[in-house]
Parts: sequence; C-alpha cells; structure tokens
Amino acid sequence: MASVRKSGGENLLVRYIILVSWALVCVVPILWFLTIGFRPRTEIIVPEPIYWPTWSLDAWRLLVSDWPIALYLRNSILAVAGSVVIDLVLAIPAAFALARYEFKGREDIGFYILSTRMMAPAIVAVPIFFLFKNIGLLDSVWALMLIYAAINLSLVTWIIRSYMLDIPKELEDAARTDGASDLTILREIMIPACLPGIITAAVIAAIFAINEFLFTLLIASTSKAYTMSVALANFTGGSDGVIYNAIALVSFIAFAPILILVILIQKHLSRGLTMGAVKG
Amino acid sequence: MASILLKNIVKSFGSFVGVQDMNLDIVDEEFLVLLGPSGCGKTTTMRMIAGLEHPTEGEIRIGGELMNDIDARDRDVAMVFQGYALYPNMSIYENIRFPLRMRQVPKAQHDERIRRAAEMVELGPFLERKPGALSGGQRQRAALARAIVRQPQVFLMDEPLSNLDAKLRASMRVQIKHMQRELKVTTVYVTHDQIEAMTLADRIVIMNKGVIQQIGTPDDIYSNPANTFVAGFIGSPPMNLIAGTAQNGTFSAAGARVPCPANLSGNITLGIRPEDCLVGGDNLQGLVYGVEPTGDITYLTVRTANKTVEIKAGREFRAPIDSAIAVGFDTSRLYFFGEDGARVGGN
Ligand SMILES: Nc1ncnc2c1ncn2[C@@H]1O[C@H](COP(=O)(O)OP(=O)(O)OP(=O)(O)O)[C@@H](O)[C@H]1O
Ligand SMILES: [Mg+2]
Repeated sequence: MASVRKSGGENLLVRYIILVSWALVCVVPILWFLTIGFRPRTEIIVPEPIYWPTWSLDAWRLLVSDWPIALYLRNSILAVAGSVVIDLVLAIPAAFALARYEFKGREDIGFYILSTRMMAPAIVAVPIFFLFKNIGLLDSVWALMLIYAAINLSLVTWIIRSYMLDIPKELEDAARTDGASDLTILREIMIPACLPGIITAAVIAAIFAINEFLFTLLIASTSKAYTMSVALANFTGGSDGVIYNAIALVSFIAFAPILILVILIQKHLSRGLTMGAVKG
Repeated sequence: MASILLKNIVKSFGSFVGVQDMNLDIVDEEFLVLLGPSGCGKTTTMRMIAGLEHPTEGEIRIGGELMNDIDARDRDVAMVFQGYALYPNMSIYENIRFPLRMRQVPKAQHDERIRRAAEMVELGPFLERKPGALSGGQRQRAALARAIVRQPQVFLMDEPLSNLDAKLRASMRVQIKHMQRELKVTTVYVTHDQIEAMTLADRIVIMNKGVIQQIGTPDDIYSNPANTFVAGFIGSPPMNLIAGTAQNGTFSAAGARVPCPANLSGNITLGIRPEDCLVGGDNLQGLVYGVEPTGDITYLTVRTANKTVEIKAGREFRAPIDSAIAVGFDTSRLYFFGEDGARVGGN
C-alpha cells in the first residue's frame, strides 16, 4: 500500500473526491426523504421535479393531531430499553462464565447459545403467540420487552464473551491474589475493561429490537402496544388516501434513533460486527 | 511471614510436563531466587504457590498449612506479575489501593500506605495517571508498589525488574533487598539475570526444563556447580566446558592437558572459569580469536581445534588476532563432569 503513504496533493484530492461522492450516494436519499417530510402534500406527487420546494409543516401537524405518535414512541423506547437492560443483566454474568470458568462442555454451551440465533424466527411464532396468550400478556409492551430480550440475548452474550476473552487472564489472576472474589472481579475488573464491548452489544441489540417486526405484529394486536416499526407499516396517512409526506416523516423519526446510536458507537461497531474474525 | 514447602510437585499441561517432581523447602523470611532459561517452569512454580495453578501431583504448604485446596484469594500472597497486570481502568493510586480494599484494611490507613509504597518505587508523581499513560518501567514499578502496599505472608515476584534501565534496576535491586529484610516477608523471586540472582538471593534454585538442577547459596552455586548445566549457566562469561578424556590422572583434549584425579577415566568434561585462566602457562595451546577490552579487564577468546575458550585477561592485555597463545589454568580450581553432566570431581 505504498500509494497510501504518498502525501502528494493530487493523490489527496482524488481520495477526497471518491470519499465525498460515496458519502453523497449514501446521504442523499436520506436527505431527500427528509425534504419530502417537510413539503406540502400537493407538491410531492407532481410529475416534474421541483428544485426549489416550498416548506411546510403540514405532515408534522397531521401526525401530531391524528396519530398517537407519542404512544408509539413511548412503546418503542420502553420495550427496547427494557429488553436491553434485561439482556445485559443476564448476558454479562453468562459471558463471564463462558469466557473464564473451566467446565465440561463450555464451548458446546457457548455455541448452543449462539445457535438459537440461527433459527428462522417464524418457526417459533405460533408457540410464542400461545405462550403469551396463556400468561395473559398479549397486546402488552412488557411482552415485547421480553421477546426482544429473548431474541437478542444470545448475540449479546456472544459479543460480550468475545470481548472478555481478549482481556488478559493475568488481570484476573492479579485481582484474585489481591483478594478479590469472582463477583468483585466481574464488577471491578471485567466490566470496566470490556465496557466498549458491552456498549457495542447493547447498541446492536437496541437496533435489532427497534427494527423487530414479526413478533411485534403478532403480539401487539391493537395500537395499544404498537411500536414505531409496526405502526409505521400500518400507517398510510389516515382515511383520505396515502399521504406520502407524513409517511416520510414518520419513517425518518423511526430511523433517527438508530442513526444516532450508530454514530455514537461507530468506532466500536465494526469490531463488534467482525468479532468472529477477531476471536473465535 | 511463613515458610513454604513444595513436596513432590508435578505440573503437567496435557502430555507436556511443565514442572517435574519438585521438592523445595523455603524457610521463613528467606529470599529465594528461581533462575533458569525461558520456559523452564519458573512462572508455573510461582503460580502454583499463589494458588492460580493447581499442581497435578504433590503438596504445597505455606506456614505448615496444606494449601492445595485453598483459593488464591485466601492465601495471603502478593504477586508481581511478569506482564504487570495493572487494572487498566483504574488510576495507579486505585491500583495500589485495590489489595487494601479487598483485604478490608481500615480506610484511614489507605492513603498513607499507598503513598509510602509509591515513594519506595519512586512513583509519587504518577499516582493519578492510568496505567496506559506510563512507560514499561513505570508500570513495572506500579505493579511492585501494589504488591508491597500490604504485608502479605509471601511475596512472589516474577521478573519485577526486567524492563527497567540498568541504573534504576541496580537501585531497585538494593531497595527490594532492603525492604525484604525490613518487612521480613518470605520472598520467591524469578529472574533471568544472574547478577540479580547472585546479589539478592539467600538461596538460588536453578531450574531447567521443569527440573531443579541445584539449590544453594550464591557462593555455593558459583563455586560448587552440581552439573554442566549449572556451570554453563552461572557466571559471565560462564564456565568454559571442554570435552575430553581422562586417563591415569591426566585429562586431555585437543590442545589442552591438565592433571586430574586418578580415579577418573573415560569421557570427561573439564570446567574452568574464565577468571581462573591466565595467559602464559602450559595447559592450553591455541590461537587468539578475539580480544575485547572493557576498561577494567580484557576478555580474551582463544580458539583450539574444536572449541573456543573465554579468558579474563589483565586490563593491559593485547594480542593480534590468530597469534599463537598458551594459557595456564589454576589447577586448584578445575571441575570435572561425567558423561551425564554430573560433577565427578575437582576443585
Ligand atoms: N497453560 C499452559 N498450557 C500449556 N503449557 C503451558 C501453560 N503454561 C505454561 N506452559 C508451558 O510450561 C513451560 C513453563 O512455562 P513457564 O511460564 O513457567 O516458564 P518460565 O520459566 O516462566 O519462562 P519465562 O522465563 O519465559 O517467563 C513452558 O514450556 C510453557 O510453554
Ligand atoms: Mg515466566
């Protein structure tokens, strides 16, 4: 990669052009989407392009007055945040045990946990439905929280475990000779040392949970437990036809938290997604 | 403050034997140094004493008490790890404090003890930094401070000075020795460095491939090596070992001839320390291979038919390369080793 080392101005310019073009390709659809959300309904279905749009908050007003967006957002946030908390509480000790304790079948159990992720979710959809029906949790945010947690638990465990495997064993040995118990080691040494991994796992789990559709649709039979992802799919803008600017705006609102999360952790994200390559 | 007893200790990793049938009796307040080449089982031995590794066979006792089933955290042993093992998310201050918190030392004493420990290793100005912001030598000293901040029954130090520069190493060496005498804590210390071993140890244990080669005081190890391994490992440069044959009270090898005890015969290895050779004499004939003046002495390398021999010559000694030279041995300081390497006579 000798050319990368070269710092000639021309070379730099070429690189900038390539990168900026690529960034535009990625960003323009999002921006375009956003502009649709802030233009009047009449303007976005005309055949010729309009280069200087008039701005309007019509779509926003429609959303706020006719559509319980606050409820959907609340449901999403509650279910997703709750599920991530449940995942972390369960996954961190499990990951510690899988990474550090020596016991028979450790690798098998680790793989078994991950393999639950490989199954097509539709296979368990019907049993899950009856399970929640029997415990009376249909159409409830709490049910969604549990389901999201269950869906992501294996992945979260696996990611945190892979980070823990990278922490030198000597650290733990030192803590042990210093007089620390296993719980203290987990709390004071391991968790702080693999905090980036824990955050990455939490964000990945949150993204999956925000986007979860199948089970949410199954469990949330009325708008009471709808989350953004399902509400969005059902949303056409109300009784008088498909209202594209409102749809665009809702989509953007649903998409924004993910974007923010990804930006926040992008440094760690690639590591989390390639963990298999880094550490088996 | 306790004695340590290792009885018939074996440690295997699968089919590989890391430590073989080790017997070691470390007395209270002793400073014991484990010395040996890389991979000989020094760290493994330490880790078994600390309770971080379980012996495959044998008994470990600290202060007379059987330790085999006692957890590392209940052994009251402080260890300095070869790789420092500082807690990366804590400041150096918190690192040193960790063992105090874990052992329920009253809070009121913490600050004073931490600062005293840091002072001993000259780490005062770095207490607020994270380990990542320290050099290798500073980290090593932080690890040392964390071990000495409390008064354990046993100190285990795994090459605690290996990353320091020569000057700091020399001063830390004296400090460690002084501190150990003052605190009267039984200490096991691992090193590659013979000078460290010779200067610090009450007794030295020389290991090779998981087997103890010799246990003895530094003087003993130096002047009475039990076998060719110990002889060739200790001293800088180490003892010259010349393979030859003994017959009728004379040892001979290509270019060399010395008297030897009459009872020796067959294949014998002669050992002679570089400082017990002198230029001029009739025990060894060869050619000058190299002359290396260092200021206080001059290292002379002499080549015979199949061997080079190191000699500490006088400070003024000079000779052209490939000139013929004759060397005499101090015949009261000869060592003879049998075919299996064990010492059979001499001195
Ligand atoms: N967990 C393990 N599994 C397998 N082999 C091991 C393990 N730990 C140590 N060994 C082997 O045991 C031998 C002794 O290792 P040890 O770490 O005690 O060496 P050492 O004398 O401390 O070496 P150094 O001076 O390089 O630190 C080595 O050959 C090492 O490869
Ligand atoms: Mg070692």
